[in-house]
Amino acid sequence: MRLNVNGNSLEIDADPDMPLLWALRDIAGIMGPKFGCGIAACGACTVHIDGVPVRSCSLPVGAVEGEITTIEGLSKGGELHPVQQAWLEEQVAQCGYCQAGQIMTAVALLDEIAEPTDEDIDNAMGGNLCRCGTYPRIRAAVKRAAALKTAEL
Amino acid sequence: MNWRGRLLTATAMLMLTAPSFAQDNAPSQQEGLAAWQQVYAVFSHPRCANCHVADERPRWVGAAGSAERIHAFNVQRGVDGSGFGNAGLRCTSCHFESNSKHLNGPPGAPSWHLAPAEMVWHKISSAGICAQIKDPERNGGRTLQEIAEHVREDPLVGWGWKPGPGREPAPGSAEGTYEELERWAAAGAPCPQE
Repeated sequence: MRLNVNGNSLEIDADPDMPLLWALRDIAGIMGPKFGCGIAACGACTVHIDGVPVRSCSLPVGAVEGEITTIEGLSKGGELHPVQQAWLEEQVAQCGYCQAGQIMTAVALLDEIAEPTDEDIDNAMGGNLCRCGTYPRIRAAVKRAAALKTAEL
Repeated sequence: MNWRGRLLTATAMLMLTAPSFAQDNAPSQQEGLAAWQQVYAVFSHPRCANCHVADERPRWVGAAGSAERIHAFNVQRGVDGSGFGNAGLRCTSCHFESNSKHLNGPPGAPSWHLAPAEMVWHKISSAGICAQIKDPERNGGRTLQEIAEHVREDPLVGWGWKPGPGREPAPGSAEGTYEELERWAAAGAPCPQE
């Protein structure tokens, strides 16, 4: 089967029941999305399909339709995505394991709501767990990213 | 009365008795209530009622007899009222078109979402759900026939009988519930007192 990942068309030889995360990491060598729980209960594996965040650990690769974007595909032309830039400026990550998933969800949130409130952020990010407890910095970074995106316009 | 008169009288009697014959074959009110009880057992089952809630949050109940919990992850109906969740955390971020094969993995069916708030079944009495189902203002503008067909044919409704590992299915089947709804409607769609 063919997958469109980060603008590239990839030939993938996989059982259609294989979770997308396995296909990305073990076959395509795209290691940004992380395995956390395997049952869509932590968010570490979050990628976008046509801009919508999905838990790639639970989506069968054979069911994928659309353009997949992983954390590796966010930056364009060597420039960090505003959410990545904000993550650096707020020094969000501690161990960092969940951060690729956190960032992918934050990007999707800001694509729909340019200036999210605290409630908007809590509503969007509740499915992305951080065992280091970086939630206050995540919230600050989402707001900083909103400002950076607005400044880009 | 001549033979023409007798024939007309006999025809008139047949015409008069035909509807009564049909009514005699229709389910009685008691049979209608019994059919509704089967429908209520389905609609009030956690597989159905967990996403027919009055508030913003779907519920979780797994195996038979397990405790009910609020859906984790701050999952909500959605500020837009769509039932598909909030920006950044839509139902379809985790619920795909088929069930996860893993215990406690996300169940799946096409177009996973909460029912509109006016179609509340969670913690509602049999009489309450019965009244709601008959009210076009609160049943999506459906006739009783359309409700029965919706129950039989909609893939998300059908998921209730194939809910994936670790979850108790709704009682009966989609086809059986369709037939009970038909029987209930044919009996005049009677509602229980409570």
